[in-house]
Amino acid sequence: MEDDYYLSGGSEEEDDYYPSDREAESLDGLENEESDAQWATSKAPSSKVITKESLLAAQREDLRRVMELLSVREHHARTLLIHYRWDVEKLIAVYVEKGKSCMFSEAGVSVIELVDLDPPESSSTLMCNICMDDVLAKDVTKMDCGHCFCNNCWTEHFVVKINEGQSKRIRCMAHKCNAICDEGIIRKLVSVRHPDLAEKFDRFLLESYIEDNKMVKWCPSIPHCGNAIRVENDEFCEVECSCGLQFCFSCLSEAHSPCSCLMWELWTKKCRDESETVNWITVHTKPCPKCHKPVEKNGGCNLVSCICGQAFCWLCGGATGRDHTWSHIANHSCGRYKEDGEKKAERAKRDLYRYMHYHNRYKAHTDSFKQESRLRETIKEKVSHLEARDSKLRDFSWITNGLCRLFRSRRALSYSYPFAFYMFGEDLFKDEMTKKESEIKQHLFEDQQQQLESNVEKLSKFLEEPFDEYSEEQIMQIRMQVINLSVITDSLCKKMYECIENDLLGSLQYTIHIIAPYQSKGIAKAEELTWSAQANSNNKCQKISNQATGDLIEIGKASASGTSDESTQLSRKRPRKGSSAGSMFDLNLPAEVHQPNT
Amino acid sequence: MVDFARVQKELQECNRDFEVSGIRVVPNGEANLAHLLGTIPGPLGTPYEGGTFKIDITLPDGYPFEPPKMRFATKVWHPNISSQSGAICLDILKDQWSPALTLKTALLSVQALLSAPEPDDPQDAVVAQQYLRDYQTFVGTARYWTEAFAMISSLGVEEKVQKLVEMGFPEALVRSTLESVGGDENLALEKLCST
Ligand SMILES: [Zn+2]
Ligand SMILES: [Zn+2]
Ligand SMILES: [Zn+2]
Ligand SMILES: [Zn+2]
Ligand SMILES: [Zn+2]
Ligand SMILES: [Zn+2]
Ligand SMILES: [Zn+2]
Repeated sequence: MEDDYYLSGGSEEEDDYYPSDREAESLDGLENEESDAQWATSKAPSSKVITKESLLAAQREDLRRVMELLSVREHHARTLLIHYRWDVEKLIAVYVEKGKSCMFSEAGVSVIELVDLDPPESSSTLMCNICMDDVLAKDVTKMDCGHCFCNNCWTEHFVVKINEGQSKRIRCMAHKCNAICDEGIIRKLVSVRHPDLAEKFDRFLLESYIEDNKMVKWCPSIPHCGNAIRVENDEFCEVECSCGLQFCFSCLSEAHSPCSCLMWELWTKKCRDESETVNWITVHTKPCPKCHKPVEKNGGCNLVSCICGQAFCWLCGGATGRDHTWSHIANHSCGRYKEDGEKKAERAKRDLYRYMHYHNRYKAHTDSFKQESRLRETIKEKVSHLEARDSKLRDFSWITNGLCRLFRSRRALSYSYPFAFYMFGEDLFKDEMTKKESEIKQHLFEDQQQQLESNVEKLSKFLEEPFDEYSEEQIMQIRMQVINLSVITDSLCKKMYECIENDLLGSLQYTIHIIAPYQSKGIAKAEELTWSAQANSNNKCQKISNQATGDLIEIGKASASGTSDESTQLSRKRPRKGSSAGSMFDLNLPAEVHQPNT
Repeated sequence: MVDFARVQKELQECNRDFEVSGIRVVPNGEANLAHLLGTIPGPLGTPYEGGTFKIDITLPDGYPFEPPKMRFATKVWHPNISSQSGAICLDILKDQWSPALTLKTALLSVQALLSAPEPDDPQDAVVAQQYLRDYQTFVGTARYWTEAFAMISSLGVEEKVQKLVEMGFPEALVRSTLESVGGDENLALEKLCST
């Protein structure tokens, strides 16, 4: 039942998106365009990798911005940023709209400088309203809000809150006081008696940058690489971590454009229910009572006959004669020979066929790009054969570029099938368009999809040819084809994405589906965050970031990869300094594991 | 570890102005101060007027940095108090607790809750529905529960017996049951109902 017309390629010349007038003039220009440079992004990628080492620096960058903008101290900046989920733009917007004092009180920041007319003598005593004891003035601490309690009570309060997991917003002890306590005071008091807890506190504050920040997410790699990714402006995008994992930033599953996140979620769930196929076999076939082969029921009649010639009753499975009417089989009376549920079964069967149609195509392309590394190997071999040849042909970048284009296009094609399944099915958009509208749109889309498909298969065919054994003239022919097909599939992919974004998802009335934009050069590898030693001076958290005080970190060069095997990229990662590793947090470990630094 | 020095001071302070507040906190039998019994008078002008409500208090290890656990030991009909368990739905006993609050201020808040129910944030859905849909019946039930469960101390033994007999229990059984629970009408009723 597998309909694999798309693998046959070649025959359907009329489908081709192949403007022959372009062919001749474009080739020389293409040569340069399709050189290695094409697969390295020219503009800076819009995402950054935050490693364990750079987490502090990343956070510091935002803190400094807010400190400078509002001229506030660091702990106030952090309180504000945590309140606004590390969204500096939002914070500025609120500042402009509501003013400083309103914004501060909402976030629990109090900057009223309280003037102590006569600071108490250090030998005098005060009554602490919490423990109700008289304590020496030197043993009390006053918070920014003006509330003053003894150090023992503050410490106990902080310990309880940190253990409750509320490190990010520890409020003052006074009833109805909304002020957030100064992190410096918390750190100082808690570390006297519970250094381990002080460290946990710092860790919570540090990780808040990732956990409370909608533009930053942990890389979903398993086992975890320790990195987080920060995107610059659009959370609907696909990214590649420095560990090599490519994922959808929005839903954290594999990169799935041009499918929307919801469609992809539904699709994977549907595929996981492989049982659907299994079900089909149990629902739609029954073993023949004579030869025991599964027999499929076709048509509405409940008398089925096996290829062995045996007729039997579909409902009870019992062997019967062939003589029957619509409602009765001669000499058979199981009493179940009725039309019940007939319509439902027919419908289920139709739905299932539809699903299988899309799934088969999706799977064929997925399987093809899973062969990536194998094909890459054979291509490499061919290239080295060619290079060994004594020939004036020297530039073979068109081969690897063509291969990258093939994988990139196949990927887009593959995910376009689950997209189409939901776009034109009844699950999601039944109320959005009439059956007629849906059909027209489906035809338009399928037309594009098929053009892309046939060109992708052609490209694939040319790359699989044993061209390393061909004559120079033949190789030049193939080269021209590959370069041309690369350009065509790229532009068809782009067109397909545009059609999906504008004509299909863009015209929806009631629901919003956003897809990651088409990246012609593949998913951009996130760049490593950089910072200088300077930025870390005056650092309260110095002890947890000794490693960060090195020289300017090497910038991971922006590169794109339509490919997954980029081991050379990984070596650019900054090597760990083993000796000092113990002094920094390993974000992979729970806080409890960290021993206090002494 | 509970700060018992502070608890001790709180008890002294609270009982000192009992005359004014009518609120009392005493140790609940045991040797340490982790279990306490509070009493609050029903607020005037409410169906709870005239009743004396017992509140079971348990102090967690982190007290006063963690809130005390409070539960009505006297049965009460109120939207924010469970008619079954006596559990109280009150913000200062949860996330709004501050170490600067005391047992007395907490009990005052509970007393204020009796005057001003918040049926939109109910602990007892049945009571809350009645409060919203049929206020008169609510007042009647609350009043009846106050008289039946919160006024025992004011009744003499004969009155208690008579009351329970009127509720349909045989007199001999009522007397022996009352005796077995030390004259506590509330407990006697529970026992009679469960047998
Ligand atoms: Zn104190
Ligand atoms: Zn305060
Ligand atoms: Zn990663
Ligand atoms: Zn997604
Ligand atoms: Zn057969
Ligand atoms: Zn038939
Ligand atoms: Zn039958």
